[in-house]
Amino acid sequence: MGKAYRLLYDENACIGCQACSVACRVEHGVPEDFFRLQVRMELKGVFPRLGMSYERMACVMCEDAPCVSVCPTFASFQDKDGLVHIDERVCITCKYCILACPYHARFVNPLKNVVEKCDFCYESRVSKALLPVCVSICPTEALMFGDMNERDSLVYETSHKEALIFPKAHLKTKPKVAFLPKRKGMKS
Amino acid sequence: MFAQNRRDFLKIATATPFIPGSLGAMGELTLCCEDKSIRSMCEMCSSRCPMEARVVNGKVVALQGNAYDKAMGTSLCARGVAGISQLYDEQRLTQPLIRVGKRGENKWRVVSLEEALEYIATKLNHLKKTYGARSVIFSSKTGESYDMLRSFAYAFGSPNVFSHWSSCPIAIESAFEHTFGETMHRDFENANYILNFGHNLFEGLDIPLTKAMARFASNPSKKLIVFDPRFSLMASKANEWYPIKAGSDLAFVLALLHVWIRDGKYDKNFVQHYSVGFDKLEKALKESTPQWQERLTGIEASVVERIADEVYQAAPRCIIDWGHKATTSPAEYQRSRAILIANILMGNVEKRGGIYFPKSAKRINAISFDEMIPTLNEAYPRMFPNEERLDGAGQHGSYVFVPKEHGVLQAIPEAILSQKPYAIKGWFLTRHNPLITLAHPQKMKEAIQNLEFIVVNDIYLSDTAMMADVVLPEATYLERDEGIRDQSDKVPCYTMRNCVIPSLYGTKSALEILRSLAQKLGVDKNYKWDTMAKLRVHQAKGDDAFLEVLLRRGVATFGIPELFLRESKDVERFVEHYPKSKALLCKEGCFSHFFHTLQTPSGKVEIFCEMVEKIFEGYGLPCAVDMDVTQGYPYVLTSGKSAIHTNGHTHNIPYLHQLMSDNPIWMHPQTAKAHGLKMGDAFYVENGIAKEKATVFITEGIRPDTLFAYMGFGRDAPSLKRAHGKGLNPSKLLSLRSAPVCGSMITNVGVKITKV
Amino acid sequence: MSPVWGSMAQYEMVHWSWAIAVYLFLAGLSSGSIMVALLVKWNRHERSNSSIWDAMIKSGAVVAPLSILLGLLLLVVDLGRPLSFYWLLIRYNITSVMSLGVLFLLLYTPIVMVFMLLVFERSVMKYTFLSPLIALIQAVKELHSYAKIIEYFLFVTALCISSYTGFLLSALYAIPLWNSPILPILFITSSISLGIAVNILIGLLFFKSTINEESIKYLLVLDLRVILTELPLLALLFIGMFYAGAESANAAKAALSQGFWAGLFWFGVIGVGLCLPLLTVMIALKSHVYRISYVVINSMVVIVGVLILRYYIVYAGQIYLG
Ligand code: SF4
Ligand code: SF4
Ligand code: SF4
Ligand code: SF4
Repeated sequence: MGKAYRLLYDENACIGCQACSVACRVEHGVPEDFFRLQVRMELKGVFPRLGMSYERMACVMCEDAPCVSVCPTFASFQDKDGLVHIDERVCITCKYCILACPYHARFVNPLKNVVEKCDFCYESRVSKALLPVCVSICPTEALMFGDMNERDSLVYETSHKEALIFPKAHLKTKPKVAFLPKRKGMKS
Repeated sequence: MFAQNRRDFLKIATATPFIPGSLGAMGELTLCCEDKSIRSMCEMCSSRCPMEARVVNGKVVALQGNAYDKAMGTSLCARGVAGISQLYDEQRLTQPLIRVGKRGENKWRVVSLEEALEYIATKLNHLKKTYGARSVIFSSKTGESYDMLRSFAYAFGSPNVFSHWSSCPIAIESAFEHTFGETMHRDFENANYILNFGHNLFEGLDIPLTKAMARFASNPSKKLIVFDPRFSLMASKANEWYPIKAGSDLAFVLALLHVWIRDGKYDKNFVQHYSVGFDKLEKALKESTPQWQERLTGIEASVVERIADEVYQAAPRCIIDWGHKATTSPAEYQRSRAILIANILMGNVEKRGGIYFPKSAKRINAISFDEMIPTLNEAYPRMFPNEERLDGAGQHGSYVFVPKEHGVLQAIPEAILSQKPYAIKGWFLTRHNPLITLAHPQKMKEAIQNLEFIVVNDIYLSDTAMMADVVLPEATYLERDEGIRDQSDKVPCYTMRNCVIPSLYGTKSALEILRSLAQKLGVDKNYKWDTMAKLRVHQAKGDDAFLEVLLRRGVATFGIPELFLRESKDVERFVEHYPKSKALLCKEGCFSHFFHTLQTPSGKVEIFCEMVEKIFEGYGLPCAVDMDVTQGYPYVLTSGKSAIHTNGHTHNIPYLHQLMSDNPIWMHPQTAKAHGLKMGDAFYVENGIAKEKATVFITEGIRPDTLFAYMGFGRDAPSLKRAHGKGLNPSKLLSLRSAPVCGSMITNVGVKITKV
Repeated sequence: MSPVWGSMAQYEMVHWSWAIAVYLFLAGLSSGSIMVALLVKWNRHERSNSSIWDAMIKSGAVVAPLSILLGLLLLVVDLGRPLSFYWLLIRYNITSVMSLGVLFLLLYTPIVMVFMLLVFERSVMKYTFLSPLIALIQAVKELHSYAKIIEYFLFVTALCISSYTGFLLSALYAIPLWNSPILPILFITSSISLGIAVNILIGLLFFKSTINEESIKYLLVLDLRVILTELPLLALLFIGMFYAGAESANAAKAALSQGFWAGLFWFGVIGVGLCLPLLTVMIALKSHVYRISYVVINSMVVIVGVLILRYYIVYAGQIYLG
């Protein structure tokens, strides 16, 4: 059976420290001033009734991935587990996928001149049974990763305990990344 | 036995191929293809998180937390991970420099380390001969290099050693000293209710503490109340946030104490048996009612009443949290003391979910009547020279209560300029950047111009290094071995910094540099070591198994169960493990005897501190003093940390600079409007000390009467090519005035806004 | 929270820039002018070589192949890796409008060139330096009997080209301004108006045809009709966005009211592209003054207007994401 990977992001625990972003940069040699991953914070409300929303900006690994369906050369493709990857060899850098991605997850790597995005650290880590580097580095355990087919995995348990939020669910892209609902403070 | 095995210890203490992932990084070993992990300790800030480096073919490819420390897991913060970026930054200092131009002109001659050290030795000897050894100041951030620097300075003959304490944690440290006789820790993990007075663990990180706090804050059944004039990240995770007026925390805490005492809602048993001075406190707090504090803090009286009740209900699993770099107002000492006393009244001392004494090896050995946990030999002999300090710290005058080991940095410029109490002619700094981190750098710069000789040991040609005569390039923490450090917390724990890869440019550590200087100056007869390996063996008393664990794992713990001395369950379990400790049981089944033998003058917890009262009348008890931070100006400029940068250290590191390269000043929209400022506009912050240009960041997340700046920006040093000229250094607006009793620098300051 | 997450430049980048806008314009021009030429060819009133109608056919036969070739060149050069464009010809993803576009272009481009040769058969014969082409012409001549079929086929592929440029954008639901079924229709309409304008202009300038008042009047009226269909289409595009959720509505609002591109929309697309030609046509028709200069000016503003429309859609779409 293929894997049903899931990455959970808990904004209640996230403190926006960007450790995940830097670890990603180190792991993948992401070029200067480009990002596979950012965590953004946004203040809501009026003094003194305030709230802060935290948001992970990265590829959400759509099951129905618009980036894959628009790619003319199959450079963007889905592997057997449904993870979306980029075949650098056949990418012509037409940037169509960048525009198609509703999550703004893609960019052109200026050093290689091909499109790049978060790949769940598949090559370097997940395929070797290691956690994605962002998950493993996070100081507050705001990220969880695992296989939904495994009943005893943390992601399975958490997914069945919490009312998950799938980013931009109305687009029906069926992301493998889900957010935990905010519990304290002002709702975003 | 020691002598017999010495050779073996040395083998272990240095590179040995049979230890996988240890010091094998040294020497030729790195040349072959290999992929290994080395456990060491982070130094991207001073939290010293245990970490692990992966080295592939002699290149560090990844850093992560050292999972041998359970509280760490594989976590590391952005700065910790960016250690790689620092290591391989081409703007790092790689060679020793000797000044050739005018001081601060940034003209240098590249020299060998040998030449630099010879030059330093000659100059230091000259100063010693002409003005006396005390004419040389030594300063460092606390840590091993500080321990070493202090021993070096004392051996050289100078009493004038300074740590960064007076610009950072000195207020709370003094409060600990006077109240408990030693530093206390917090058990966030088991607490149910936390009052947080700006201890911003989500922006001033320490992984184990931050992790525990994040778990706490995201748990819906626990309650976090944050008091901060700014909507900090901590505030964003709180159940309730109160934008308290800057500098007025003390008033709130006093009112809290007042309510508890008024209603008899405090741990009477603990207060009666283990503390002194409660009766005096009761009297002193008669006036500090919730209504009284309203005017000072801007928080409604009813809030104090409600919170007082809630905390009491949660006691003892509650913490009234102190800050780390608590330097908010001249009332700093009083504020810190009041917070500690609030904890005492809640009876949370040595309770789970409360506050506790670190359980060092010595302490556990003493309780268990067993010598099973190794203790360390002193590696840095420190004989204080019988001389007067320039600031009188720990000796006489207004800084008599400031530890003479740490001193008051703010006193330095005046001492240099006035040559009082005696001539100050030299300064040796290692990893210390006072021109960024200390108040009024303009004055400091002026003073420094009058020095004859300055040595700076650092990784970058920092603002302070620019002013030096000799700049020594330090090996980064990934390139050096250090000794063993006691990092005991709930259980005894040692850590050791292990070299991850050989020094890229042949640079040396502060320890090695100072050791060879000591030799050159002929003041090294007390050192029992001359290499890092021997240092470690000496510290470990030749215990090779112990050393091997530290080499392999970077941390050593000993399977001791957690012990809270006043938690009978813990004590019971401990006694089971160590039956001899039964002798210490009190009638409640706890180890309460401990509270009669504290290192305070009375041996008990001191609510009233007679020793302080004698010299600083009115300061023996917390009372409402010194809370004004505006000095008559309309706004208060506050400053703080971000999770991206460390004080004056990381702003030029590529990966971190990329994340945050500037510090626009936070301002409430109302304030901005009143001054006609739009997002990103430039303006002047001005007070009697300086007038500095800044840009504005308009946000609802701050009181209209308060401004906020992240610290460490506004670098003048041109060698910091990335960080140079970006942002405002809020220190430039601070005065060199210190808080009474503790000598703390004050980082909240009154300012006005003027248009450009 | 003042930003601590680094540069946002990558998220605010315009990935498809002027080259794509110009390509869309050129593809529209090519398909529009050939469609107009064919329509004229099939429906023209008199068979006189020197009439404006004939000139328009000739103009279409020149403009269409040239503009599509230029457009293709631009398209390839604009790729991040131009030299790897051949992958486009090797691998086809039928769910990708871009792949479909490649297929259409592969059909369209040769035929449109054949059409050019057929139209200019006699001129080619005249010039000896073009003699290498004669063999080709001979071969093409063989096809003469199928001319009608070729023309129909050409028309259909041209329609595909002009609509695919719209579908190329409208397939992306990440971009509210593009993700509308109106867009392909709008692109077809505007490419037809562009075809008319360019064919007239080129016809007048290079194929010096005799021209009479009737023709001018007819051309102006033709333009008027196309413009009058474009206006409601644009309105529909934005109205649709206002009903397509908060994100789209915000994008629509911003695209119409914020910054340079909103200005360009009102001034360029609406003002220059639609109102100005409308005005000239109305004045001309009302005052019964049918001068050639009217037609020329009218054509030029239409061309500029369509170019601005493509620019606006390409840029504003990427900038105003709601
Ligand atoms: S590392 Fe964790 S806490 Fe830090 S920003 Fe990333 S997800 Fe949030
Ligand atoms: S988030 Fe974007 S890049 Fe990732 S799979 Fe979905 S569409 Fe593709
Ligand atoms: S840029 Fe590369 S991956 Fe993206 S659509 Fe074009 S060919 Fe596919
Ligand atoms: S908090 Fe971050 S920078 Fe500081 S020691 Fe820990 S990992 Fe290193």
